[in-house]
Amino acid sequence: MPLSRTLLADLERIVGAGGLVRSYEGRLVYESDMHTFYKGAPDVVALPTRTDQVVAIVRLCRAERVPIVPRGSGTGLIGGAMAPQGGVMIGLNRMDKILEIDLPNRCATVQPGLINLFLTRAVANRGYFFAPDPSSQMVSSIGGNVSTNAGGPHCLKYGITTNHVLGLELVTGTGEAVRLGGKVVDRPGYDLTGIAVGSEGTFGIVTAVTVRLLHAPEAVRTILASFVAIEDASEAVSAIIAAGMIPAALEMLDEMMIRAINEGSNAGYPKDAAAVLLIELDGPLAEVMAQSERAAQICWERGALEVRVARDDAERALLWKGRKEAAGAVGRITAAYLLQDAVVPRSKLPQIMREMVAISRRYDLLFANVFHAGDGNLHPLICYDDRKPGELERAQQANEELLHACIALGGSVSGEHGIGMDKAKNLPLQYGEADLNFMFRLRRVFDPDGLMNPAKLLPSHPACGEGFRPSRPTLPAGTWV
Amino acid sequence: MLAGLRAIIGAERVCDGGAAVDGVVPRWSAAPATIEQVAALVALAYDEGLVVVPRGGGTALELGHPPARVDLVVEMRRLDAVLEYQPEDLTVTVQAGCTAGALAARLAAHRQLLPLDPPGWAGRSLGGLAATQATGPLRQRYGGMRDLLLGVRFAQADGVLTWGGAKVVKSVSGYDVPKLMVGALGTLGVLLELTLRLHPAPDYEATWLASFRTPAHAQDCVASLLDSTVQPNRIELLDERALAACGLPASAAALAIAIGTVEPAVRAQEGVVKTIARGAQGSVETMGTSFWRTYDRVLAGFDGVVLRIGTVPARLMAMLGAVQAVLPGAAVAGAAGVGALHALVTHADAGVLGAALERLRATVGEVGGGVIVERAPRALRERLDPWGPVPAPALQAMRALKHEFDPRGVLNPGRFVGGL
Repeated sequence: MPLSRTLLADLERIVGAGGLVRSYEGRLVYESDMHTFYKGAPDVVALPTRTDQVVAIVRLCRAERVPIVPRGSGTGLIGGAMAPQGGVMIGLNRMDKILEIDLPNRCATVQPGLINLFLTRAVANRGYFFAPDPSSQMVSSIGGNVSTNAGGPHCLKYGITTNHVLGLELVTGTGEAVRLGGKVVDRPGYDLTGIAVGSEGTFGIVTAVTVRLLHAPEAVRTILASFVAIEDASEAVSAIIAAGMIPAALEMLDEMMIRAINEGSNAGYPKDAAAVLLIELDGPLAEVMAQSERAAQICWERGALEVRVARDDAERALLWKGRKEAAGAVGRITAAYLLQDAVVPRSKLPQIMREMVAISRRYDLLFANVFHAGDGNLHPLICYDDRKPGELERAQQANEELLHACIALGGSVSGEHGIGMDKAKNLPLQYGEADLNFMFRLRRVFDPDGLMNPAKLLPSHPACGEGFRPSRPTLPAGTWV
Repeated sequence: MLAGLRAIIGAERVCDGGAAVDGVVPRWSAAPATIEQVAALVALAYDEGLVVVPRGGGTALELGHPPARVDLVVEMRRLDAVLEYQPEDLTVTVQAGCTAGALAARLAAHRQLLPLDPPGWAGRSLGGLAATQATGPLRQRYGGMRDLLLGVRFAQADGVLTWGGAKVVKSVSGYDVPKLMVGALGTLGVLLELTLRLHPAPDYEATWLASFRTPAHAQDCVASLLDSTVQPNRIELLDERALAACGLPASAAALAIAIGTVEPAVRAQEGVVKTIARGAQGSVETMGTSFWRTYDRVLAGFDGVVLRIGTVPARLMAMLGAVQAVLPGAAVAGAAGVGALHALVTHADAGVLGAALERLRATVGEVGGGVIVERAPRALRERLDPWGPVPAPALQAMRALKHEFDPRGVLNPGRFVGGL
């Protein structure tokens, strides 16, 4: 339904003509996030610069029952920052200021449009950093990171975005600006900050974020170990964890991925390797030295072909180069791919890798793997040729089957990307009707009209609808007789 | 009603009366053995309009507003199993009645730990630690319960068994329901099972006591430690009275600093810690690891009024001064690097305490902090707000949550912030 002329005029009054994108071509830029499979352009994009403008926009849309979709840099991978039902998109890119840096209390308050890496750059010379480091950190916004509760290669040690968010300013679906949390970690009341992080814009629009800053470690050491069998690499991962280390990052690449990377870059991974393990340890120098020696030794003991230890930042960058280029490198071996983000308990890695080989054979599709082995977060790229009829469908089926396998092993449908439109349908794999219903009701508390980023995060499922009643406990037979 | 309760869990597991909760003798007490029994009890309570109070270790029952009424106490002590423990995954799933001490013993065999050590932690139930977001020295390095709780099973107010979160260390699928349950005092659900993130136990740990001439020097030392690359497990601030209570040498303020990692790294950081402390004109002595047991015993064993103060690390000295000004004689101790302090108050009547809370809340309010009464006789708590103010828009959202998930007021009603 096109927006009313008065709504557009009111929006223009709020953000100015220069803060509104109305043209077809302009709106098309906003029709998808980086999961380009899901498309839906908003009817208009508003680009506010202040919280009070966001409040005014939400109230306006609420009065006219128009859907609202927040968007940061649009680098999500889930079909999240796009408008399947049209409506008003609120682009937060112009709210990109650092509001306060408070190093004595190790925190900063920023606007949501600030690019993740810019925060670290602003404090790096004083020895601090912002820990969440999704691969997109050069372009993704902190508001977007908060929205999806983004992870990154270093969250094995440092945790995901939620562990670094101390407070939020949230404009709820009812158009109230609420301050949640703050610099102080212990505050009375429900942890509304905690529940809002990862809510993918369904509770409201985040207009300011107070984040934790960490002191940079004294030392960082990166090790690259290659193996002839992926089982050996998996065993090395287990042994490193069992030895009492929590590396900052513990990444694995499989044979297919190694081949793709070697074809295009000078990362120089051994060509007969079936698995490469990238281990990064950071912390106090003496700890890093002791643990990196132990980790290297573990890799040798598990039959590593080669173990390389970076001696300086340049070498470290080289070891990471292949890993960072992985998603791009896959372009050399396939026309298109689906990216999975499921998680299994770390101890189930060997099992899921075997399962993956079987699925790949069954569907006659190539799987290339680059993943966060330390926390069991898989990122298989399921390769297909989009020019061949039926191949996408086959890839989707293989994807679903893999997801089922991960859940059967006690895993989760998403480790760090989020749900959006893409995985909403998969949530019932992981959650029962009562669990889904609880989440539905939670959403309704913050957004009673169902206007905030609709069609995302929760599936269309009876348990996520009005009037559903989960089955209550049955009392023992004969209780009332 | 008693017949109904008996039919659910058996006659021998339910009784009239029972141990008082914050001065109120319940009408019935039940000790279920399965989560299905808890669910059925809560469902019955919901249908009959009863007030349910879950009870874990029973050590934090004085937290919050005094209950007006307690119909059914659900004792969690029999729900104490470790359900799943795969050391390699660094996760564990336990029933909520399992004590932190029992779990620690189980984990020690694999050199792992759940790094939660609020006062008296060993005897406290994990469900209770989650419901109260109790905090201890290890928060400095490992974060709090909110950072460690990965998944949670609970009974909603109508008895529906519900799961939130995941059993893996990394998951962002759906809303982060476990966060909602941490610190909620059981007002949104009866916690039944928890999946927790574990950490490897450090190979070696050493503790030092740095004593200072003034609290300002201690503050400087904290600032320098935080602005360095050392990674302490704990940095506890003890004022003059807290030192005396622990039987330690007198000084204006001291920091108990622990570092745990591989031994060479402990040794290397020891040098840095000493240099930093001496830079703040402190004197440093090495403590045995038994210090932490003493410290825990002193805090847990204190039987006066306990306040939990949430401030920021840069305002410790201001906080010590404020406490001394309004509650002379109170001992202050807590996690300096986190700004989570405890004030132990021996003598205070409601008038003094009320005025003191007002002043302290105004002081921490400047940085958005708060002061809660963690423990105090019921008579005192009846005359003051144990939680302190919550800003109106946030309280409105909390009220809406409570109304949605417990409209009949079954779960610990009236005890939480704003009388929720």
